[in-house]
Amino acid sequence: MTTIEAHDAERPYHETYTHAPHWRSNDEEFDAAKIGMWLFLTTEVLLFAGMFCAYAVFRMMYPQAFANGSHYLDWRWGGLNTLILLISSFTVAMSIHNAQKSQQFWLRFNLFFTAMCGVAFLLIKFIFEYRVKWADGKRPGEWFTYAFATDPHEPIWWSIYYVATGIHATHVLIGVGLLLWLWRRAGKHHFGPNHYTAVEITGLYWHIVDIVWIFLFPLLYLIH
Amino acid sequence: MHHLSDFSMILSQSWFDSLVMPTWLEELFFRSRAANEIGYKSDVVYTIIFWISTIFFVPMMGLMFYFVVKYRRRPGVPAPRSASHNTPLELAWSVVPTILLVWMFFAGFLLYMDHVVTPAGAENASLTAQKWQWRITYSNGGESPETTDELVAGAVPIFYVPANVPVSLRMTSQDVLHSLWVPAMRRKFDIYPNRYTTYWLQTDPLEETEGTEMLADGTIYKDYWVFCAEYCGDSHSEMAAIIRSVPPDYFQQWKRGIATPEDPWEWGQLLYKTRCASCHTLDGTTNIGPSWKGVWGRTEELEGGGSVVVDENYIRESIYEPAAKIVKGFKNQMNSFQGQLNDDELNAIITFMKSVESNPNAEGGQ
Amino acid sequence: MTSHDTHAGGHHHEGSYLTPTGGFWATVWNWATTIDHKKIGVMYLFAVLTMFFLGGAAAIALRLELLFPTQVVDGQLTGQMFGAADATAPGPGGKQYNHVMTLHGAIMVFMFIVPGIPASLGNFFLPLMIGAKDVAFPRLNLMSWYIYVFGSIFGVASILLGGVDTGWTFYTPYSTTTDPDQGSRVILMILAAFILGFSSIFTGLNFVVTVHKLRAPGMGWFDMPLFVWGIYSAAVIQVLATPVIGITLLLLCFERVFSVGIFDPAMGGEPLLFQHFFWFYSHPVVYVMILPGMAIISETITCHARKRIFGYRAVAFSSLAIAAISFLVWGHHLFAAEGELIATIFSALTFLVAIPTAVKVFNWLSTLYKGSIAINTPMLYTLAFLFLFSIGGLTGLPLATLATDLHLHDSYFVVAHFHYVMFGGTVIAFLAGLHHWWPKMFGRMYNEFFGILGFSLVFIGFNMTFFIQFILGTQGMPRRYASYVDEFHMMHMISTVGSWVLAAGFLVHLVNFVTSFVIGQKAPPNPWGGLTLEWLAESPPIEHNFDHEPIVTHGPYDYDEYVPPHWDPKDYPLPEPAEGSSH
Repeated sequence: MTTIEAHDAERPYHETYTHAPHWRSNDEEFDAAKIGMWLFLTTEVLLFAGMFCAYAVFRMMYPQAFANGSHYLDWRWGGLNTLILLISSFTVAMSIHNAQKSQQFWLRFNLFFTAMCGVAFLLIKFIFEYRVKWADGKRPGEWFTYAFATDPHEPIWWSIYYVATGIHATHVLIGVGLLLWLWRRAGKHHFGPNHYTAVEITGLYWHIVDIVWIFLFPLLYLIH
Repeated sequence: MHHLSDFSMILSQSWFDSLVMPTWLEELFFRSRAANEIGYKSDVVYTIIFWISTIFFVPMMGLMFYFVVKYRRRPGVPAPRSASHNTPLELAWSVVPTILLVWMFFAGFLLYMDHVVTPAGAENASLTAQKWQWRITYSNGGESPETTDELVAGAVPIFYVPANVPVSLRMTSQDVLHSLWVPAMRRKFDIYPNRYTTYWLQTDPLEETEGTEMLADGTIYKDYWVFCAEYCGDSHSEMAAIIRSVPPDYFQQWKRGIATPEDPWEWGQLLYKTRCASCHTLDGTTNIGPSWKGVWGRTEELEGGGSVVVDENYIRESIYEPAAKIVKGFKNQMNSFQGQLNDDELNAIITFMKSVESNPNAEGGQ
Repeated sequence: MTSHDTHAGGHHHEGSYLTPTGGFWATVWNWATTIDHKKIGVMYLFAVLTMFFLGGAAAIALRLELLFPTQVVDGQLTGQMFGAADATAPGPGGKQYNHVMTLHGAIMVFMFIVPGIPASLGNFFLPLMIGAKDVAFPRLNLMSWYIYVFGSIFGVASILLGGVDTGWTFYTPYSTTTDPDQGSRVILMILAAFILGFSSIFTGLNFVVTVHKLRAPGMGWFDMPLFVWGIYSAAVIQVLATPVIGITLLLLCFERVFSVGIFDPAMGGEPLLFQHFFWFYSHPVVYVMILPGMAIISETITCHARKRIFGYRAVAFSSLAIAAISFLVWGHHLFAAEGELIATIFSALTFLVAIPTAVKVFNWLSTLYKGSIAINTPMLYTLAFLFLFSIGGLTGLPLATLATDLHLHDSYFVVAHFHYVMFGGTVIAFLAGLHHWWPKMFGRMYNEFFGILGFSLVFIGFNMTFFIQFILGTQGMPRRYASYVDEFHMMHMISTVGSWVLAAGFLVHLVNFVTSFVIGQKAPPNPWGGLTLEWLAESPPIEHNFDHEPIVTHGPYDYDEYVPPHWDPKDYPLPEPAEGSSH
């Protein structure tokens, strides 16, 4: 049995939740939401696929610039961010489990922790990577001013780097917003075994954000 | 045509060609015979596709009208029963079109190879496209000084080519995408900045060509339009040229005559015609850029305030860094000619420019 | 045995979805916050039709400029219309023409034809036809609508600020370098297309899940109306293809704003990469445009010929086949730009997509055989579709053929081809569907005489405008030209006059539809005798579509077995029973 706050006299929201009128059952609504989210994630994969395609094309055209570029990135920060996202994927999966078991405290904890992992990712990215690189003159395209570049096409490498990681970071930011919103709702006992759709589909979204990074990290940081 | 590669032998029977594409149909579709045999073959392929389409379309529409009349709704009369599908029929109407499509693909592919492979022994030249003007530099460095008044006065150059000799153009752009289309050749190809693409053309011998004209000295020639076929901005529609097919001997003589003039004024005039004429007029009319009439020594007001006197330094800056000072009422549209015009060429242009008000023959020599 | 009927011809006391629930402002708020797919469909309908008229006005202006070879007409007109600095720009009329040309393309493609049929008729009828109360995600549906409005505002803002002259295809480096002083307008237009892409994705996603999860009991995949198959196939393409234009437009934005250099050859970028990315989406999207049109034709032809479709499974599977193959052919837009091997592969693949398309046309034609064909506006438009779309499809063949495409690419032939398929195909089908379903949506009949008059003007005007453009193309007239050489004058004049006839036809339809609200006859629930589930509902339907969930016991086109809902058997003769099964 879960620990529900003593002052909560009525039954919690998640216990009394019923599906929207055009559905026949809660299960059907839940299934549909999952299919819908998977379709949306397909579009996300395709969006990043386009980005990876651009990476591949320019890597083929300018292998030296890309090799140089990878060297400028610090794999330790990238590695730390990878670890952070992997842990956060675990915690968001746990939060779904918590909702299914109505473990309200752990649900709130895991949602918040996942969100904070996202925040940590973004802070590391902005403070220790972007800001440093920008100050050095390692900037995209026309704005490139790094004095010690050895290959004339390094600005293109930086363009690919900033655009790819920037679009990814935007998705992380959106994910953090969604997770914090869920955390607030969890505080009001919106989620439980009978109703945890939003947690499930946000978890799916977060996993894709993680997976995209798992591809970005080696392609940008590790391949020389 | 022993100069041309000959992948497409399947279409070489001429009785077949004139059966499929009688003259009236050829004129309806293409206005006039293509400039060479490969173009003609493209026309035959097109016309065969047209006939195949017609042979399907007309009976289908006939059947449609027939059904609508015969099976029109009558009160109290239900639609009779009929089969909901018919496998042999459905197979037939899938397989037969497929076979025709396979023919079309191969016909198109083989002829395409003829189009894109440059034959040996071509006369080489390089073509430069810029907004909104064509320029061909022949193998001796010469550029054509002739222009025609059609479409836009003074900016449609005439490029001479030797009849029945392949000419290979190495193309590049100074700014955005363009595309060279010579409708008579039935082919176009795109032109990129920072890259070369190739376009070759060959006209039929003039004795075998219809519609030839005669120059003042009795030489026969035939003109073909050239259009830009990749949208490139304001004057995309006016970016035209003429390919003039002349006898090979005449061509060689003409080519010798267009080598870079010695007189700086003449050289400047040639440079004006091949690089500046599409945007700057000589008679005071406002075009994309300011007119050169009486420009020398004038004080120009600038966009954003200030003014400048038009002297050697200002012209130099305008040609190499056009965005630095824009004359009031005009836009920042001029490309830089840095790396394309050297000091001698610059001097020639300046020499010409100084004369524009005072020399009424500045536009002469067309 | 028919599917369950709600009330046999009775009146419904709770009113329809259109009945206002309160005062004026209450009704406005009701519509603004609705999650009813019918209301959302109607809002989309009015929006896309408005965009169509805007884009159409631009087209009339373009054709006016082309009435004479080199005379500048648009310069004065558009200068006054937009009042932007370009009005006084020196030079020939090209600049103004190029702005209007871009406007025409961008509005028609992004704001009219891609959302067009799916968002309006699809939204309204998809749930009804499968017996559902709404789409899978009604709130997402409303969000799609607002995203569409938001994106369109960006587009209109760009236009009002003076517009862009990049062409709707935004080819680089022209699009990244034009108008360096007015860059914000280009960014606005690019962002408009980007935002509209989200609307498209969410609508597509919604429809896919709806078809999978909300079919009424008894309706298997092969019991669905073909309209549903068509909308579903188009929705799949929307979900898979749109993200690619999303990333393309984002990269284009970054290129424009930050000069990142990805498409700029001066910085080592690759302009051809833009073209590949752009067409990877834009080719499948033309099938998003045509599949819903074909979906409508399957409904109108069966209903108005009172005949089951010939080859149901062939038509259904060909929709999926077209959707799949559409992703493989984008390179045919680059035949004059790319290398020989790539061109050859794409030419072969392009021919592949012709086969399921041809099969559909043959099947529709066969459906007319031994039918009971009514001559009314929907059927006339259906027949016109078969005529015009066939021409459009057949003229795709010389474009797929490598040698001839080298001549025809970027010429008026291409312009004629795509107008025959998009306008002669999709828009004609849209008109067929609008007339067919108008009584159901709004409870009013349009006037049949004016419907036929409008049809005649549209059909004649369309052919007059566009058929001659095939000839212009083969004779050497390039596209996106504001002026041209004298030899093309006569043909351009015919085309321009044709555009006026076309416009007149649309005005007749506009007046016909608008006045139907006031003087149109009240529509019965099933004026045409259709068998698909939407005809079970009232005209217009009640809020929840059906009183009780329909249970499906027959196919959507069993016209020789069942009396349509709301019809008296006396008025609907059935053929003699067959000796064996007619399957």
